[in-house]
Amino acid sequence: MNALDLSVNHPVGDFVREVLFPNCPDLAWAANGLIAAVALVLFPVFLSAPFLIWMERKVCAHMQARLGPMRHGPHGAFQTIADVMKLLFKEIALPGKIDRLPYLLAPAIPLTASFLSLAVIPWDHDLQVADPEQGILYLLAVGALGILGILVGAWASNSKFALLGAMRAGAQMLSYEVSLGILMLLVALLSGESSLREIVLSQQGTALDWWIFKAPVVGFLAFVLYLVSSTAELNRGPFDLVEAEQELTAGYQTEYSGMGFAMFYLAEYVNMVIQAALVSTFFLGGFLPLQIGIAPVDGILAAAPGIVWMVAKILLVVFVYMWFRWSFPRPRIDQLLALEWKTLVPANLVLFALGVLLVSQGWIL
Amino acid sequence: MGLMENVPKVLDPLPGGSRLADAVDYVVNWARSRSIWPLTFGTSCCAIEMMAASMARYDISRFGSEVFRASPRQADLFIVAGTIVEKMAEPLVRLYEQMPGPKWVIAMGSCTISGGPFYYDNYSVVKGVDRLIPVDVFVPGCPPRPEALLNGLVLLQEKIRKETLRNPRRPGEPLSAPAEDRWARAKEAWEELERIKDEQMAEARAKFAAEHPDYKPPKPPRAEKPAFPEVAREPAPHAGWNARAVADAVHARFPELKLFRLGDVAPEVLEARPADWIPSFEVPSGKLLEVARWLKDGELKMDFPLLLTSVDRLDRFELVAQLMNSSTSARVELRVPVEKIFPEGGSYAAGEKNQKYGATAPSLVPVWPGMGWHEREIYDLMGIRFEGNPDMRRIFLEEDFPGHPLRKDFDMPGRAIPRHA
Amino acid sequence: MTARTRQTLPPGFLLPVRDGETDEFYLNLGPQHPSTHGALRVVVRLDGETIREVVPRLGYIHRGIEYQAERDNVLQFVHFADRFDYLTALQNEHAVCLAAEKALGIGVPERGEWIRVVADELTRISSHLIFLGSFGTDLGGTTTFLYAFKMREAVTQLFDELCGARLTTNFLRPGGCARDLPEGFVQKTRAALETVKRGMDEWDVFLSGNVIFQERTRGVGILPADRAVALGCSGPVLRGSGVEFDLRKKEPYSLYSKFDFDVPVGSVGDCWDRYAVRVEEIRQSARILEQALDDVPEGPWRSKEKVSWRLDEGSWWSEVETAKGILGVQLESQGKSDKPWRIKVRSPSFSNLMALDEMCRGQKVADLVAILGSIDPVIPEVDR
Repeated sequence: MNALDLSVNHPVGDFVREVLFPNCPDLAWAANGLIAAVALVLFPVFLSAPFLIWMERKVCAHMQARLGPMRHGPHGAFQTIADVMKLLFKEIALPGKIDRLPYLLAPAIPLTASFLSLAVIPWDHDLQVADPEQGILYLLAVGALGILGILVGAWASNSKFALLGAMRAGAQMLSYEVSLGILMLLVALLSGESSLREIVLSQQGTALDWWIFKAPVVGFLAFVLYLVSSTAELNRGPFDLVEAEQELTAGYQTEYSGMGFAMFYLAEYVNMVIQAALVSTFFLGGFLPLQIGIAPVDGILAAAPGIVWMVAKILLVVFVYMWFRWSFPRPRIDQLLALEWKTLVPANLVLFALGVLLVSQGWIL
Repeated sequence: MGLMENVPKVLDPLPGGSRLADAVDYVVNWARSRSIWPLTFGTSCCAIEMMAASMARYDISRFGSEVFRASPRQADLFIVAGTIVEKMAEPLVRLYEQMPGPKWVIAMGSCTISGGPFYYDNYSVVKGVDRLIPVDVFVPGCPPRPEALLNGLVLLQEKIRKETLRNPRRPGEPLSAPAEDRWARAKEAWEELERIKDEQMAEARAKFAAEHPDYKPPKPPRAEKPAFPEVAREPAPHAGWNARAVADAVHARFPELKLFRLGDVAPEVLEARPADWIPSFEVPSGKLLEVARWLKDGELKMDFPLLLTSVDRLDRFELVAQLMNSSTSARVELRVPVEKIFPEGGSYAAGEKNQKYGATAPSLVPVWPGMGWHEREIYDLMGIRFEGNPDMRRIFLEEDFPGHPLRKDFDMPGRAIPRHA
Repeated sequence: MTARTRQTLPPGFLLPVRDGETDEFYLNLGPQHPSTHGALRVVVRLDGETIREVVPRLGYIHRGIEYQAERDNVLQFVHFADRFDYLTALQNEHAVCLAAEKALGIGVPERGEWIRVVADELTRISSHLIFLGSFGTDLGGTTTFLYAFKMREAVTQLFDELCGARLTTNFLRPGGCARDLPEGFVQKTRAALETVKRGMDEWDVFLSGNVIFQERTRGVGILPADRAVALGCSGPVLRGSGVEFDLRKKEPYSLYSKFDFDVPVGSVGDCWDRYAVRVEEIRQSARILEQALDDVPEGPWRSKEKVSWRLDEGSWWSEVETAKGILGVQLESQGKSDKPWRIKVRSPSFSNLMALDEMCRGQKVADLVAILGSIDPVIPEVDR
């Protein structure tokens, strides 16, 4: 963690630092982290998760020829606010024979892990909590923490459904980390950078300069494979074997009620934002505006600030995730692992080799 | 609940605190009533209508309740959809207890309200789920249409919004204070209304009679009933097999077997049978396995165990087995009398209820494995033990259920409410 | 941990413990579980995620219908028939009415039989549509459920017009039906059939053609033909195993001999075959209905009403091919009473469910859900 360089340009941070801690450089580090966390991580996340849940319910409903929440607020916009508030005031039922401390602490772990991941995501040219040189490594390290929460929570809740779900989670998420790692390496290889900000900046130009198009064929394939692997990493349908309602009632969260459940639920959606942000960072030009090579149009498009583009791209990818979830049936655990180890990993390795070829021959557009 | 109950206690002493407490109260109740997540629970017909309510045409999600949670820990609403029998009672109560508070219950359908069509003459159905758990909203119907369930949900929302932390009837007192006797006041008001109505009706009648001295009320028109013709039944002949040939084949192999109710296998007896007759033989219990083995492996190839049941004929039990050839659909029926073995001094003629007696029959599982559960069902409901069945346990009722309900002398006061009580 | 011995196995488990295998555990699904189709409880003996043995525990919805039947007359029993398999209510009523007609010697006019065939086939479509939806859901594709129900609503609407109820119809009577067809029923049925057929074409792309779905169903839960017969399985479970047995062809009742239709048969006996058989049966039912709608017989829809339901001494057996399989009614009477001495309902789901253990052994937990779904049991019919 010490490798993090937290003194990056950050307008809000600088301002507060000067006002609050003018003479205290030691505390400035902490202040920076605090401000950045509140301004960039917690606040947007608490706003975005209910919105995403509402969006999920609406997308799902419209895919299923329904309307979705309609009564509470315009088109049910306040629906998830009510849900969150209700969960806040719900009794936390402690099942018998649980391991209390891990049971109560476990829901915080996935949420913490996702907040940590959010730190390195570049939202705009100078809107990023931290920009470590080894951003990709940091992501891989922190991302793997989330599984821990699931394993601990499931083990502590003394339920066989939860246990089976956790075992699946362990097998599934660790396997798919491999795929994600290779694909991240591929992007690093193509761009020659491992800092996320630099990866975004390496895609400057028109839309054809985004990695999805810039590396011919390889980029697009990597994009598709990344989408699939990250869906599995997120435990979202069709790869939601960890929850698998029809088999394991609610998987690892079977015994969680009230806030514990809400935190798992929240973490799921925050993770979705993170993965969508990574997809857009790696393949879709991140906060860079869409440029199509026609000057007047480009001017208009570039007028919007980077964060707007970032959010738009994230929402697009999130929509694709939801589309996946509500379209496909769920594979079995052995099929899912076979898909990873027998198909995706070899395919990714081949792709990586192709990437090496592209870079060494200079075939990048 | 504990947290919320403390809100007025903590806030009220503060300046302006009671208003704040009211605001919290309002907002929390708003959230709770707007976000009712039901538990996935359904046992029978009502469950289908409950599903239909969450489908595209009725769309329960408009009210924010499409989040059916499979785990009771995350549910707020228990929609008891479908009949609850006594064996289900314990899991049901446990599910309710596993739900974190605040929680609500909708009793959907007549079975959960009162036992519905299973109220009379029934030994296993719980006559109203409110005997087990507190119910907030009753939705009548058998099954209720999805609209009715949605209406129940809206009623529940209204109810939740009125669940205040203050005592609605005794302002200023805690919730636990006893409510005043509103019933007496309502009754008084009602009787007054009735009295006024009676007076006015009598006045109007007298006035009408004075104005129209020779008025006769017209007869209500009766719907004309169409005259239906009398139609005789024409039994359809069997398509792929001949009952006489099957009867003859069995007779040739086992000449000592008699036709059930008809006696000897004679051409004139077979001739008189209707076209859809199924040959039915009376087989003594001791011979059953031999006959069964031949039926399965012999020329008839009766490989399909269609039916095994039993009838209580008072002096004996009678096993009824119907076997089928799965390629031609040829059938044969076996009737096996099974003796009731009474303990010292008992007999069916004594006419006592709930007598203790046993009966045993050879199991057909070695011949047709598909008879296994049928035998367990007979053991459960009739009390005939099958020797050779590897898993001779009760199949439907609890192991400690007293008696066997399909025996004619089964009588359980309190459990089965008779129709004309 | 020492190995469990035979004696310490929970009741119902028969497979002996293997030497050196000590990491088995038991998983309890139900009676409240999203994929057990109602109040079924299944105890699974697991080795990791692999199933060794499955023991269904029944009786969580045993309502004693047969006990009640002995205390009512036959006419009063008709509405109970709706409630043992509520998805095939009209077909159950048909079986009960056939038994009562045999016992009382009542015939049915042609229009009555025609309405029964139409009602039966509509019921088959609606029941199979629920199967398609719930099977898709069991495999994790929640959206399928809504599309199936969308099609089903078209059919349910017809029941609503025909009988005044969507589910428990109480429409057939010994001797015919309770009412005549409502106005415009034929046109509405045609429109509903169009909806269903269009929906089924969509379905082929939407679910049947899905790679994950095929992976999940092909080769899973194989039931060989001889075992299916020996266990007494019927309906799509039997036909999925490759045995061409359909009562509508083998013992034609009602007007079925007049219609031209095929009996779809599977080859392997896996979940896919059982699914494919049902998909094809929907199309065949639509075919029967189209033929029926082209030629509506005129005349009375029921024969003269009986004044007395008194039964003579005797035994009568009737059977109907419902969407789930062979539903039989054994009616016994001792004479001198309008109440039957005993009514036994031979329910198809009861026998089909017996095959669950055999199909599940060696498969994964997730397959249990698929296999159970492919049997398509209705638990109130199993328990009665």
